[in-house]
Amino acid sequence: MSDTFNLKRFGLLLKKTITERPTQTIGVTALLLILSLTLYIVAKNIIGFNAAQNLTFVWGLAGGGFFLASFVFNYFNSNASGSSYLTLPASYFEKWLCGVLIAGVFYPVIFLLFYHLMDVLFVAAYHSSLDPNSLFYRQQYDSVFTFDLDGILAWKVYFMFAMLTGFMLIGGLYFNKTALVKTAIAICIFLAILLGLNWFTGIMFFGPIKEAGIYDHVTLEVGKAEGVILLPAGIEHFFRTGIAYFLPAVLWLSPLLRLREKEF
Amino acid sequence: MIEVTNLSFGYKKRKPLYNNLTLQLPVGSIYGLLGKNGAGKSTLLKNFTGLLFPKSGTLQVNGFDPKKRLPSFLQTIYFIPEEVYVPSLTAEGYKKLFAPFYPLFNEEQFYHYLDFLDVHDKGKLSTLSFGQQKKFVIAFALACNTKILLLDEPTNGLDIPSKIKFRKLISSVFTDDKMIFISTHQIRDLENLIDNVIIVDNGELLMQASLTEIAQKLSFKMVDTIDNESAVLYSEPSLKGHAIVTENTTGDESKVNLEFLFNAITGNPEKSKVIFKTK
Repeated sequence: MSDTFNLKRFGLLLKKTITERPTQTIGVTALLLILSLTLYIVAKNIIGFNAAQNLTFVWGLAGGGFFLASFVFNYFNSNASGSSYLTLPASYFEKWLCGVLIAGVFYPVIFLLFYHLMDVLFVAAYHSSLDPNSLFYRQQYDSVFTFDLDGILAWKVYFMFAMLTGFMLIGGLYFNKTALVKTAIAICIFLAILLGLNWFTGIMFFGPIKEAGIYDHVTLEVGKAEGVILLPAGIEHFFRTGIAYFLPAVLWLSPLLRLREKEF
Repeated sequence: MIEVTNLSFGYKKRKPLYNNLTLQLPVGSIYGLLGKNGAGKSTLLKNFTGLLFPKSGTLQVNGFDPKKRLPSFLQTIYFIPEEVYVPSLTAEGYKKLFAPFYPLFNEEQFYHYLDFLDVHDKGKLSTLSFGQQKKFVIAFALACNTKILLLDEPTNGLDIPSKIKFRKLISSVFTDDKMIFISTHQIRDLENLIDNVIIVDNGELLMQASLTEIAQKLSFKMVDTIDNESAVLYSEPSLKGHAIVTENTTGDESKVNLEFLFNAITGNPEKSKVIFKTK
């Protein structure tokens, strides 16, 4: 039997992980779906359909993924459960894969199916509630449509999800207790450092600046005029690709190494 | 088989807990690891299971490097920490989820051990008392039939009848192809159970010997008065006089008192190392 990956053993591990703590996997997933539904309904009535769709999608997928990921490696808050987890006869690769599947495949798939179904139903209900004889029927009808899961915003949220969930998976293995809070603080510090460095670099090259997007653009203010300096296309592509693929890949692979080196 | 060669370990760089520790522990014995609080007993067990990694030196357990935590290694070893973990499952549910990871798990033995230790509750394990949870985990660990069983303070949280049953059970399941390693500071709980004693203190191995060897090298007796105090490794006044531990110079073997032994060894570390030829 392979010491790296064995399908039967992996199946047992996945089954054990999900059914051992159903509240923390199935329960949290169900809770996140209910919260998403509630947010959609409340936001729809307060800020309108389109904003509600965007808000629910961002919080449900990126926020929910981050929250759920905090439970994936949540074994190290006690000596007993941490020891039990690390000494369970399964490879660190299988343990990592299990976490990745739950946080990175199962949750997003379940959320996207739920979200789309919810969105389609609400939009259909809205359309059918309109009066076809109304003067503004066409305008009202066209103002609400289902959220495009392949649109620009959706892809930005997928990227956010990959980053936040990746951060949380690492955080869960570095911080034994209150990993969720500590990881959130670590992300804030990381972003602050990133923005600060970017700002500092901008000032070094251009003097006083108005705004600095992370390694993307700098807004200069000369008198009353404003000008944006963008990165050259080649370099921008390099950074965008790096941030979109390389960084999440590093974040998702790091827990694998951390699991191997984890002492407890 | 556990082979430790020049193992050094410490949580802090400047304060090593173990320094160049060397041990050879063959299977076929029940070892008692004795040490004061904070002596590093749990740390040593965690090194054996691969939960902590030695800073230097080599460690081989069942022919594996524990640090790698390979499944084929973890199947041969079961570690019960002082605080046990049981999820919110029934005994049956726990068995279904955890037992398949241990190829030698025996269901019949499992239920027999549970019965023997009086764990009859059919409800969720997380609702059981700490003592019952511990007995459940002990029963499960024994039924896994791993080659090595490591127990850290196993009698903590057990009531007196349970401690007696625990000793009986451990003695009855032990076979020559296994090793049971018990770490404790409750020395009396190991009386009549262990056949090998390891004493550690201040990061040093002070003694590793079988009870037979200890009886050959040390003498445990009662005397009315202590004549030669410099020859006494440990003494304790009692109603019948003084209980003393001295080096055995006559060759007459006496019954080993683990508590006195521990005090004698930790009170005279250098002398003990000479007597037991500890490296």
